[in-house]
Amino acid sequence: MIFWKKALRGRFFSPEKKISYLERAEKRAGFFFLLPSLFVLVIVIAIPLLFSLIVSFFNYTFMEPGFSKFTAFKNYIKTFSDPYFWNSLWVTFKFVFLVVSIEFSIGFLVALMLNRNIAFKNVYYTILTIPMVMSPIAVALFWKMMLHPNLGIINFILEKIGLSPIDWLGEETNAFWTVLFVDIWQQVSFMILMLLAGLVSLPQDIYEAAEIDGTSELQKFLYITLPLMKPVIFAAITLRIIFAFRTFDLVYVLTRGGPGVATDVLSYYIYRQTFMGLDLGKASAGSYILLSIIMFLIIVIFKTIFQKETSSK
Amino acid sequence: MKFLIKFSLISLIFLFLIFGISFSQGITLHMLMEDVPETHIIKELLPDFEKKTGIKVEFETILYSDMHPKLVPQLMSPQSQYDVLEVDNYWAGEFPAAGWLEPLDDYVKRSNFSISVYIPSSLEMTGYYKGKLYMIPMYNYAMALIYRKDIMNDSKVRAKYKEIKKKELALPKTLDEYVELAKFMKKYVGIDGSAMQAQRGDPIVMEWTNYLYALGGNYYDKNWKATINDWRGIKATQLYIDCLKNAAPLGALSFNLDDAFRVMSQGKAFSYITYWWMLPQLEDPKKSTVAGKVDIAPIPGKGGLNGGWGWAIPKNLPKERKEAAWKFIEWVESFEIAKKRALMGGAPTRYDVFKDPEVLKKYPYYTTVMQIIEKARPVPEFQYSAEMIEIVGRELSLAATGKKDIKGALNDAAKELNDLAVKAGLRK
Repeated sequence: MIFWKKALRGRFFSPEKKISYLERAEKRAGFFFLLPSLFVLVIVIAIPLLFSLIVSFFNYTFMEPGFSKFTAFKNYIKTFSDPYFWNSLWVTFKFVFLVVSIEFSIGFLVALMLNRNIAFKNVYYTILTIPMVMSPIAVALFWKMMLHPNLGIINFILEKIGLSPIDWLGEETNAFWTVLFVDIWQQVSFMILMLLAGLVSLPQDIYEAAEIDGTSELQKFLYITLPLMKPVIFAAITLRIIFAFRTFDLVYVLTRGGPGVATDVLSYYIYRQTFMGLDLGKASAGSYILLSIIMFLIIVIFKTIFQKETSSK
Repeated sequence: MKFLIKFSLISLIFLFLIFGISFSQGITLHMLMEDVPETHIIKELLPDFEKKTGIKVEFETILYSDMHPKLVPQLMSPQSQYDVLEVDNYWAGEFPAAGWLEPLDDYVKRSNFSISVYIPSSLEMTGYYKGKLYMIPMYNYAMALIYRKDIMNDSKVRAKYKEIKKKELALPKTLDEYVELAKFMKKYVGIDGSAMQAQRGDPIVMEWTNYLYALGGNYYDKNWKATINDWRGIKATQLYIDCLKNAAPLGALSFNLDDAFRVMSQGKAFSYITYWWMLPQLEDPKKSTVAGKVDIAPIPGKGGLNGGWGWAIPKNLPKERKEAAWKFIEWVESFEIAKKRALMGGAPTRYDVFKDPEVLKKYPYYTTVMQIIEKARPVPEFQYSAEMIEIVGRELSLAATGKKDIKGALNDAAKELNDLAVKAGLRK
């Protein structure tokens, strides 16, 4: 929290700096221009957030919707004492960590390759954007068809080349990695495009100077590209972490959290609390726990960016 | 002044447009329907209803899994967008308990609507809740055993069976016999014995419940104490996992209804415990390579799982919409339309349709189906049926993957089921 205050003070309320009338008027006008979108944001984000925070402290179910039974932290305690919650948390962490790091590695590699002068660039761009614009449900459904152990094309090819068919979704470890793979297949282009946008906008004169000085490709990458790309890298990773924590559709279509509890991610756990358990109080508590975890991670990452920036200045 | 005239003229036009549209259309009934053959059949017949009553009907057709999440917010809101509901038997306890459905006893009495034509097991399941009529049975999907009669009658298979098992090959009469037969098929005939659907969630629970009921087991006893972990539950689970490991296709642990159907319809399995209306699907040469080679039988043992849908009217509707909704139910459940639906491939719920000579001529196996429905039992219906299925599904999946032993998994499920019964106020 202190970090936010500092950042805000530095940016908006610096008391040392005197602002002229004109500047103030401009700021005020800016605020008025912001008002409509602020209003919409309050209605669609702030109010539901506040509502679910309040709900999480009540025994609010679909059977008895209402705020008659205040339970204080009981919903949170119940959630924390559920072993399947901890399992979901662990699965989610594992999933997010692996998905983001693998996507980042592949993404950066491909972005670097695409940043060179190669033929058919536009074709690659088009192919890359296709999975990203597809709905996750559709992606999951067609992968499920292709991965069908007896009738899917993937096992068919495996058998044709003399390998034994693989049980992609019916075995715990396989199922986890299959969901992971499908997610990477769909989302890696986000990473590529984001990093590529960063690479394209890097100033070229530094590279030219470095070439005159006779630096190797590896040196250029380590000492110029990486440091300059830091803000973009952090932004890309942060966004992917947020999206990965919310992964739901793939799990819902491919495995339903199974086999056993191998792919039971937190968002699916919360979905079940809501629509099967009909317990909005407990589901809200779970959502707030998920929200706090994501917020915490983002703050840590943001902090790292700002520190890097100040130390490099 | 000019501006005022312009403004009022434009407003007037808009007003006329809005009122014009709403008046010219009369009442339009909106319904959320599952994307299954029955829905498309009814959709084809709708012009008849519109002609007779002048009421228009619009279907919003979606997948089953999205229905409950879409219906609940509507039923909780001040006024539902949907005028007629199709209620799955999973929700047949939840919706009336939450007070979301309009009791239909008065409507039935007022319009002399006969409910005695319905098979009692259907009426108990998707009709009454605590003695009051909330739903009219619409559709039935009791589970049955569908098997390949060509393999059963194959002389080589019969000879092999006699050689190995020292008896004649016959349709299984008990659950043990069924699992033995399925295992035999996989081991000696080279075809998967049972196209199982063991995906976590409702697929595994639906299938396993047949095993439980076949042995005479139950989820709860009369006092809502969980009995899922008694000897019947344990034996059912042992047999289920045995069948899964030794007679099911690769990957059955991730299969839902459709995945298993694909295996069966491609001729890659000997049998399939599934909803009885899958038979016409498997008999359709466009969808299946085993058309003409399959037959239906009751689940071996003491009966299988019953399932079905009922028509209902949401409570949060204005009176005239409720009346229009009832008109629709009366029409769609009349003998004339019910028979037409059946002849087009629908799933009947009425005795008179099941016994109709024309229907029987087209679907001779309906006599068997009627017996299957009469003997079938639904899952316990209460507020938390959906959560109960989720819990049992999780524990069964854990047992099937070997993460938990069978007894431990069932004990854990029983403990949570007892908590649910307490939460629902069914016991202390």
